[in-house]
Amino acid sequence: MSNDALILELSAGLAPVRRRSVTREVAMLIGLGLTELALILGLGLMRPDMGQMIGSPYMFWKLGSLAVLAIISFVIAVRSFSPAFSPRKGLALVVVLAVAAIVTGLLIDPGPANQPTLLDRLSPVEGLLCAASIIVLSVPVMALLAVLMRRGAPTHPERSALASGLAAGTCGALIFAFCCRVNDPLYIVFWYFTACGAVTIAARWIMPRRFQL
Amino acid sequence: MRGDFPLIRYEYEIMRPRFPFRLKPDVSQDTTRLSPNRALSEAFPDEWAGLMAAAQDGHGGAYRRLLSEVANWSQRYFQRRLPLGDVDDAVQETLLAIHRRRHTYDPRYPFAPWLAAIARRKWIDQLRSLGRRPTEELPEHLSVGDHEVSIMSASVLASLLEELRPAQAQVIALVKLQGYSLEEASQETGLSLSAVKMNIHRGLARLTAFIENTDDVE
Repeated sequence: MSNDALILELSAGLAPVRRRSVTREVAMLIGLGLTELALILGLGLMRPDMGQMIGSPYMFWKLGSLAVLAIISFVIAVRSFSPAFSPRKGLALVVVLAVAAIVTGLLIDPGPANQPTLLDRLSPVEGLLCAASIIVLSVPVMALLAVLMRRGAPTHPERSALASGLAAGTCGALIFAFCCRVNDPLYIVFWYFTACGAVTIAARWIMPRRFQL
Repeated sequence: MRGDFPLIRYEYEIMRPRFPFRLKPDVSQDTTRLSPNRALSEAFPDEWAGLMAAAQDGHGGAYRRLLSEVANWSQRYFQRRLPLGDVDDAVQETLLAIHRRRHTYDPRYPFAPWLAAIARRKWIDQLRSLGRRPTEELPEHLSVGDHEVSIMSASVLASLLEELRPAQAQVIALVKLQGYSLEEASQETGLSLSAVKMNIHRGLARLTAFIENTDDVE
């Protein structure tokens, strides 16, 4: 088929399209996150001492850093679904912020003094449950991001998938942070990082598949 | 090759792999290169953005005009970056991508970066498909021209010319085999024109006599 014939075919019977809106997509993602959070809180899964803990530096650090990472990752992911935006610098920023959050967490609170060993502090059984919960909570967000990515036009789908995975993982972690009863920053850093990393790797592997611009 | 003594010259064209496209854009003169956003914006400041906005509202005429101009631009863009046989595919892939993703263009922003990013992505896709494209190994029994006769002739002529005096062999090789004129042969050998003529005449006569008196010359 010649170029002229293709152009005629494409322009014949052209229908109006609804323009993509970053604001609308971010609102959808925030709405989904809030719905998940409301569902968790409605089921009574919030930690019982949240009222006392919410003002503590530890909780401020945990929720604040996760919220910042989630919001920035969301913006980077959604913006990267546009052809003219490359998420490279944004991803670098998220990595820097994540490292800063980890260092801050380890500085802000050395952890409980009565936990003698590293293994006890990490408490693997509980940690695995936490990581699994975060992964489950991030699945709906990742699914929505995958749909938005398919409807968008990312010219760097692999990086967009990374940003989406980070956004979904940190969002799941932020929601789960309202339920998590452990107050040890080392535990949080290790298991939350593990869960977010797993979600990011899964997104990177799944989302660009069969994607065609 | 003049001045050598190639009785029969074999010229084997070395089939070097041609790579007529650049992996890196030519910075000097390419207005559609990888950081083309500014150049493209300067070349097509606002018109395409307006046409695309109209196309998003369902205006077929504006869309047809836009795609025609984008096709021309894409043609130039890919001609500098891909083998000629792949240019049309890349152009059409770009047009299809623009059509499928036209809702992602935001008219508040310039059209050029949006288009350039899509074209660049299609360029990368084409390069990847080039790398994946299978290459066929030539079969061993593929028939090629037989050089045996030429090689035998060269060998026989060399042995015949060895029967002549060096001056006769040289001028015969120059004039009768390599196509020199008598004057050029005279300049090449440093002999006079009449000496060249005489050496050729006597050399050929001697060769004729040698051949007539020899049985095993093929």
